[in-house]
Amino acid sequence: MTTSEQAMEPHLPTEQEVLGEITGMLAALLDGYDLTPAEITMQSRFTDDLELESIDLVTLAEQLQARWGEQVNFAEFIADMELDEIICLTVGQLVGYVVTRLRTAERS
Amino acid sequence: MAYLKLNGLRFHVQRLAPQDAGPPAATVVLLHGLLTDSLASYYFTLAPTLVAAGMEVLLYDQRGHGRTGQPPTGYQLERFVDDLECLLDRLELTGPVHLLGNSFGGTAAFGLATRRPDQVAGLLVIESEPATSAWSVKMDANLRRAKTQLVREEALAWIATRYSEHTARLARSAGRLLAATSLARDLPASRIPTEAELRAIRCPVLAVYGKESDMVSQAAWLEGLLPDCRSTFVSGQEHSVLIGATEAVRRLTLSWLRQHGSEPRGVAAERLPTRIRDGRSEPEGSVR
Repeated sequence: MTTSEQAMEPHLPTEQEVLGEITGMLAALLDGYDLTPAEITMQSRFTDDLELESIDLVTLAEQLQARWGEQVNFAEFIADMELDEIICLTVGQLVGYVVTRLRTAERS
Repeated sequence: MAYLKLNGLRFHVQRLAPQDAGPPAATVVLLHGLLTDSLASYYFTLAPTLVAAGMEVLLYDQRGHGRTGQPPTGYQLERFVDDLECLLDRLELTGPVHLLGNSFGGTAAFGLATRRPDQVAGLLVIESEPATSAWSVKMDANLRRAKTQLVREEALAWIATRYSEHTARLARSAGRLLAATSLARDLPASRIPTEAELRAIRCPVLAVYGKESDMVSQAAWLEGLLPDCRSTFVSGQEHSVLIGATEAVRRLTLSWLRQHGSEPRGVAAERLPTRIRDGRSEPEGSVR
């Protein structure tokens, strides 16, 4: 594959890769808590399992945008959710959102 | 994330530009409440709507809260107002801005409106009131109770059962804030604006209440006190109107900005029902 072909077909991250990056961001946020990255799974809930406070989610939102740009807008993603949904939000739902957004941005 | 040193303290500040990168239709400063609150309450609710509507939005964590520093002392209301004034000066937001305050955030907003009327285009306050001697007495009782209760495991367990684990976690942080600082002592000892100072607030004020909240009883008093104050009541809500009825608050805010000359743009504007877009009627509850 030539360089120009690679540019035409940029690599879109897989679910597993996005999970890996988000796990890294969460591990940094949770630094100082008794939780290791190994314990973060697709099923982990941000508030009940990882014990993140809403202000931690603001930091996460910024990191997501810094990593993947304007197309990944966490605040917009959860703005339409009810409070109960936000409290039950899982890492997997966020990974799914990021992957979908990156694919949508790629198509457009 | 931006940190700014203001009044000797490191503040967590978020300044969000209009989503369409156009010139801001208005600048709206969002002020959060006491103890369990932070700028996150707006970041995930009202802020995305306002930037989508072409507004510039300024959010910050008030002293002792969120990611802003937590000094051991200095929690009188005038200190919170100093912070807001200093922030606006630092960011060179010299034109009048709209202040939107939730609960104590509104009290701080009223504080700036009495001190710097030139800086304030309008106030939208949710479940809030200006500081008065009655407010001091109430704050003293509430903060004393919170300081004792929010460090008790039984009380936190009750909050977790009655509300949620998340609320209990916020309450635990609030208990730590009260234990580590003189906030509970300082706030009731704040300098209270005189009645004449409050009457001199000439900018438009929209006071939003939960219809079931015990603050409803002060609506008539506030309307009588301020030259240009209207009240609106959101059905089925108590004190947590911002979180409990976010959509209603979004619409009220956009409609209020429009009435005061800041036209919402984009999808957010289209979401307003026509009658509200035309500025003829309020979206929720009853207005008087």
